Amino acid sequence: MIHSVELFHDYIRDGRIKIKEKIKEPTTVQDPCNVVRSGGLAEKNQRLAQYLSEDFRPMKYQGNYNYCCAGGGGAMPIGGEMKKHRLKGGKVKAEQIRETGAKIVFVPCHNCIDQIRDLSKEYDLGIKAIHFKEAITECMEIPEEMIPKDDES
Amino acid sequence: MSEEIKPNEIVDFLKPRVGARFKMWLGICAHCGLCANTCHYYTANEKDPKMIPSYKIRFLKEILKKKGNVDKDYLQKVYETVYYECNMCRRCTLYCPFGIDIALMISLLRALLFSQGMAPEGLVKAIENYKESGNQMAVSDEDWVETVKWCEEEMAEELVGLEIPIDKKGAKILYTVNAREPMFYPQDMMEVAKIFYVAGEDYTYCSKPGWDDTNLSMFCGDLKTSKMIVENTFKRAKELEVQQVAITE
Repeated sequence: MIHSVELFHDYIRDGRIKIKEKIKEPTTVQDPCNVVRSGGLAEKNQRLAQYLSEDFRPMKYQGNYNYCCAGGGGAMPIGGEMKKHRLKGGKVKAEQIRETGAKIVFVPCHNCIDQIRDLSKEYDLGIKAIHFKEAITECMEIPEEMIPKDDES
Repeated sequence: MSEEIKPNEIVDFLKPRVGARFKMWLGICAHCGLCANTCHYYTANEKDPKMIPSYKIRFLKEILKKKGNVDKDYLQKVYETVYYECNMCRRCTLYCPFGIDIALMISLLRALLFSQGMAPEGLVKAIENYKESGNQMAVSDEDWVETVKWCEEEMAEELVGLEIPIDKKGAKILYTVNAREPMFYPQDMMEVAKIFYVAGEDYTYCSKPGWDDTNLSMFCGDLKTSKMIVENTFKRAKELEVQQVAITE
């Protein structure tokens, strides 16, 4: 079993993916419980965020000690009955994000990303939560031979 | 609802599952309170003592002590605590001097409720979908393959020669996604296709059930369905003779 965060991290570390331009806006990263605390990817998760950022700002508690976004353990797919509880519980995460001053939050988890987008609305964080994939595709160098030639059409 | 709860059913469920570790945890927790501040529910709810992790698992101790003699209202209280007040994030365990795994005990309580027919609707629906289609969103095999092909077409316009392999035998990696991707976020699949192509990764999707890497049945302790989901993926990995299974963000 291997998680995307580890794959992507290793691609950049090993030069298989080259970063053309890093993100200039301040960024931070969420440590999803299953990826980090349970999955052991604390270091790679943070380093991947740093590879992609000019101004990376870690949360107050990071890596294994980071807080849950309050969307875990089935809280998102449970649906409506859970909503008010997860929005309340997510206050801690919202404050953590606000403290960093980041504008972009990398969130390598579908559960966390939906929750953090909800938190951004609820607590007016003014941030954009994205998967690493989105950032990598925007920042990576595309080899010359892969770029389509316009004159064909 | 006045359905009868059968104490022997509860005891029969818990007995084989509450082993030495659980007994030790229940026995050695000193209620020192170090776990209190570690919990986001505790902090976000104005430090409500009811939200202290070690307090949340009192139910397990009580049910064992009462030998399963509890009523529906009692189980409803358990439900509200184990679902509405805990994400099973395991942060409290990290700060506990004994390393007591509260989340595992919450998980056992959820499984107990499931055995009594109590589980959140959202998860029950997902379980039906898994059983029917192998994925949480009930995407049919045809729609799945079509979505992958559509992503390939779209991305081939952006990168010359890009392909998205399906059922490629002997690939290094079997890549799996969250079933919400083909339903709501196909751009995730397109982005990863680009990354894999540029990185020169040797990967494949599988066309048959096993491509959804979520396991929502686990959250309510339906381990039978959880097992089926994982087995599907490993079956595909074996058939395709891959070296690794990769999961999405």
